[in-house]
Amino acid sequence: MTILNSRYFIWLLLALPAVPMAIALTDGTQGPYGQPVAEMLLHPTGEFAARFMIAAMIVSPLRSVFPRSRLLLWLAARRRYLGIAAFSYALAHTALYIVDMQSAAAILGEFWILGIWTGWFAFLLFIPLATTSNDWAVRRLGRRWNVIQRCIYIAALATLVHWIFVHNNIGPALAHFVPLVALEFYRIWRYVAANNTRRIPV
Amino acid sequence: MIRYMLIAAAVAAPLSMANATGRMTCEAVERAKWLTEEAMTKKLTAQGWQVRFMKEDGGCWEVYGTTPDGQRVEAYFHPATGEKLLVAQRGKILFRAEKN
Repeated sequence: MTILNSRYFIWLLLALPAVPMAIALTDGTQGPYGQPVAEMLLHPTGEFAARFMIAAMIVSPLRSVFPRSRLLLWLAARRRYLGIAAFSYALAHTALYIVDMQSAAAILGEFWILGIWTGWFAFLLFIPLATTSNDWAVRRLGRRWNVIQRCIYIAALATLVHWIFVHNNIGPALAHFVPLVALEFYRIWRYVAANNTRRIPV
Repeated sequence: MIRYMLIAAAVAAPLSMANATGRMTCEAVERAKWLTEEAMTKKLTAQGWQVRFMKEDGGCWEVYGTTPDGQRVEAYFHPATGEKLLVAQRGKILFRAEKN
C-alpha cells in the first residue's frame, strides 16, 4: 500500500512506455520498414500523449459511473501527474517532429495544413496546463486555476482533429476518443436527469 | 443498463477500429510482377523524389518521402506499373489519379 502512495510509483508507471522509446532513440534503431528512428517514434509518442490526456479527462466521468471504485479514487488524486505525462509525451512528439522535418522551411511549408496546425495548437494549449499543474500554481490561481484547466477540452478537440486528418485515418483516433465522448455524454445526461427530477412538483 | 452499454462500447471500440488504413486499394497483382523496392526507389529518385521508406498498403506500394517540390508526403503507386495514384501531404490530398 505504501508503494501505491508514493508519487515515484505513478511517475515510474507513466514513464514506462518511454523506456523502449528511449532505448530505440539512443541506439538509433530503425523501424520495421526502415523508417528513421525519429519518424518511427512519432506515432507512439503522439499516441501516448493522447492516451494520458484522455486518461486524465476520463477519471471524473468514470467515477460518476463507478462511484465506489478505489482505483479511480486513487487515480483522481493523481490526475495532474497524468496531465504532466501527457504533456511530456507531447513535448517529445513535437521535438521528434522538428528533428524529423530537419528544416524550419519544411515545417513552415506545411504549417497551415489542417492536420498540422491543429497539432501545434493543441501543444500550445498544453503549455499553460502543464506549467500550472503544481501545488504552488493551484494555490496562487485559486478559482482561475479551474478555468485555465478547462482549456483541456479545446486541446482535446484539436488533438482529435490533428490525429484524424494528419493521416486521413479516422479509426485509431475514434477508438481512443469514443469512450471519453460517451462518458461525457453520460455525465451530461445524468446531470440533466438529476435536475429534472428535482423540478418535479411533489 | 446504460452503464453496461458504456463499458461494452469502451472495450469494443479500440478492438474493432485498429489496422488497415483503406486510404487506397490497388488491383490484385501477383507477387512476381511487383516492382521491387529498389526499382520503385530508382524510378522515383530519377524524377526528383527522395524516398525515406516504403511499405505495402491496400495492395499498393505506399512510399514515405519528399516530392521534387520538397513536400513530405505519403504516396501510393501501382505495384506493377509504378503509376502514381495518390499523394497526400500530412493528410492533405495533393494528387489523385483519375479512375479509368
